[in-house]
Amino acid sequence: MEQDQDFNKLYEEWKETTKKLMERFPERKDAFQTSSSIPVERLYLPEMLDEKYINQLGFPGQYPYTRGIQPTMYRARHWTMRQYAGFGSAVETNRRFHYLLEQGQTGLSVAFDLPTQIGYDSDHAMSKGEVGKVGVAIDSLEDMEALLKDIPLDKVSTSMTINAPAAVLLAMYIVVAEKQGIAPDKIAGTIQNDILKEYIARGTYIFPPKPSMRLITDIFAYCSEHVPKWNTISISGYHIREAGATAAQELAFTIANGKAYVEAALKAGLDIDQFAPRLAFFFNAHNEFFEEVAKFRAARRMWATIMKETYGAKKPKSWQLRFHTQTGGSTLTAQQPDNNIVRVTVQALSAVLGGTQSLHTNSRDEALALPTEDSARIALRTQQILAHESGVADTVDPLAGSYYVESLTDSLEEEANAYLHKIEELGGAVAAVEQGYMQREIHHTAYETQKSIEKGEQVVVGMNAFQLDDEPKPELHRLDPELAKNQKEKLKKVRDNRDQQRASAQLESLRQAAQGTDNLMPHIVECVRSYCTIGEICGVLREEFGEFTGV
Amino acid sequence: MQKKIRVLIAKPGLDGHDRGALIISQALRDYGMEVIYTGLRQTPEQIVASAIQEDVDAIGLSCLSGAHNELFPEVVQGLKDNGADDIIVVGGGVIPWEDIPYLEEQGVMKIFTPGTPSVETAKYIEQAVYKRDGIKDREPGELIDRVDHIGIAVKSLDESLPYYLDTLQLKLEGIEEVDTEHVKVAFINAGNVKLELLEPTSPASSIQAFLDKRGQGIHHIALGVNDIQERIDEMKRKGIQMIHDTAKPGAGGASIAFMHPKSTGGVLYELCEKPLKERL
Repeated sequence: MEQDQDFNKLYEEWKETTKKLMERFPERKDAFQTSSSIPVERLYLPEMLDEKYINQLGFPGQYPYTRGIQPTMYRARHWTMRQYAGFGSAVETNRRFHYLLEQGQTGLSVAFDLPTQIGYDSDHAMSKGEVGKVGVAIDSLEDMEALLKDIPLDKVSTSMTINAPAAVLLAMYIVVAEKQGIAPDKIAGTIQNDILKEYIARGTYIFPPKPSMRLITDIFAYCSEHVPKWNTISISGYHIREAGATAAQELAFTIANGKAYVEAALKAGLDIDQFAPRLAFFFNAHNEFFEEVAKFRAARRMWATIMKETYGAKKPKSWQLRFHTQTGGSTLTAQQPDNNIVRVTVQALSAVLGGTQSLHTNSRDEALALPTEDSARIALRTQQILAHESGVADTVDPLAGSYYVESLTDSLEEEANAYLHKIEELGGAVAAVEQGYMQREIHHTAYETQKSIEKGEQVVVGMNAFQLDDEPKPELHRLDPELAKNQKEKLKKVRDNRDQQRASAQLESLRQAAQGTDNLMPHIVECVRSYCTIGEICGVLREEFGEFTGV
Repeated sequence: MQKKIRVLIAKPGLDGHDRGALIISQALRDYGMEVIYTGLRQTPEQIVASAIQEDVDAIGLSCLSGAHNELFPEVVQGLKDNGADDIIVVGGGVIPWEDIPYLEEQGVMKIFTPGTPSVETAKYIEQAVYKRDGIKDREPGELIDRVDHIGIAVKSLDESLPYYLDTLQLKLEGIEEVDTEHVKVAFINAGNVKLELLEPTSPASSIQAFLDKRGQGIHHIALGVNDIQERIDEMKRKGIQMIHDTAKPGAGGASIAFMHPKSTGGVLYELCEKPLKERL
């Protein structure tokens, strides 16, 4: 009886918050219904409510957020459809951005080439063969201006997949906005800025862990003051999963890394409720549908508990785990690439039913090359069909209450917690990474998976089962072979035309700041403004911080 | 494997996705090769230098970033410049089909596209190294020198033999009891192959179990081999589940081992090594 009253109180609170929220953010329709005219409620609840339900699941928009971070979720607004794009030159990528925005995409997501990601200019010896290949080549502010030309930075939010040199690219974005007449507090977006997963899984690190963590906390501090709408980190399980992890490992290692960033920021003297609301997550969506849905739900509950119980955050915003999802690149096959459209649909659906805030759907040809325009459009259409035709966005957390989904959610949480304990024992995520713990765990899983695929125990349609004898070869995206040459010429012009003295002076002041404990962001912004290149800026930091060379 | 093959697995360029490189390293090791992995971000010069220093037979290059057309040929050229072009170069990763002829023209011996089972890569490297070194290439046909016999389960030799000897007019070569297997066998010469009729001598015999389940009929095919233990080990490396990990005595003084039908497409195969005089 008493529990009923507790429940009724919470339910009333939820209705009240929802009502208020809807005044500001009305739902997409006045009433939702199925094709058979059956009304679709905002929220479905079990008939018997008990303490377990309230503690483990609760209401959407309420702690522990298992059922979603907003009371209305996609009934108010669909997730952000944010297709990752970038290739070749800034001008070419700008054209693809405009194309995607015209096609109804609602946010930008920039892929940078590897030299940019590792802080080398396009004319560096290490950049050979890589310029403009996996993303767009950015050497200086000039390239960033071309990349964002005619894109209203106060209206579009931009996600940048950049880690080791995240501070430099963010600085460029801030300065470009400024040149458009938009103040830093009006721009919105995300930098990935997650260096720990680079050591674990993706390999695009520059500096050793300690100075890398300093750069990250400097960004936290700078943005909470100057760029408040910016998500200063996207803690990424995506690459951990791509490297071969299981769903439970993805969940565990991502949250372990998240804890490490929180602890670094606390150690740097930042206030938890200042920076925590700007932490975002990035997960992978693989084929095993229910496990993926459960993973997203478990992630929210785990993070909320950790933030509230372990770190004592007070603001509900600090407890909420917000995440971007990308469908699993490594699940796609080079064989019968059209099958990948189907895989991506299943994966995207798991992300939507798991309550993602934004989504990238992979293109069918990604196991072969960069996506063509056709396949990039189909990938976006896949999301639009889910959003507008399937009806899955019409009620909040539709799979909740499934015995199977709830049980999987609990089991994933349990398994992830076991890993978190192990990582604690090793001294936390940074220490565990340095000891190669996560790397070994993932490698072991990856190898076992490969063996079971090769033995045929794990079926991959079109690859080890249901093969075709004469596969037609699809059209692939081709890059301009002149690209690297043109990019190098442009870079030379930038160096020749800038105020050389000013550029050198800014680099020198960055060097001095790096030797001390000053926040590096203002210095990097000044370097960028003076058209110092990414290679020069990272070069100074390399000299001061040293380079990481792998475990 | 006749010689220990050494392979350098290398990641040229800036691409940090090394799942494939790590998996192939492990798979080649499991196949019996010595493998050195370079780690990330190697220039072609560094890869050539490591290959020469480590005195490898082959280099496997892995790249997913699209830089293969520039970087792979540089490795080949670097080996040539250093007089080390006997080192075999193969590649893999996200490599579009249309780039493969170009890379092969540049001297990369083979490109493995995504989805290639790792054992295929191992076998390819092994064959290429043997060919280069003039080691007699043991094609599958030579590994197995013939079908030695076909085993047929029968309820009773006395009842079955008349069909073979009188109706088909084949020649009986001998009858023998193999106590360890609880069977009595009759060898019949069918021209180019022998038939082995197997009669159970005890309920514990696996032939009895076979008869109970399926009735009379073909029980197994025996493949004649030269060095049975080497063949057993090789089958295991290739992922075949063996019923016997080491050879055991069979009829006619042979050493035998069975492969599990689960990994051979449903057929029970016996590997069978006969004493030398019998083979001649």
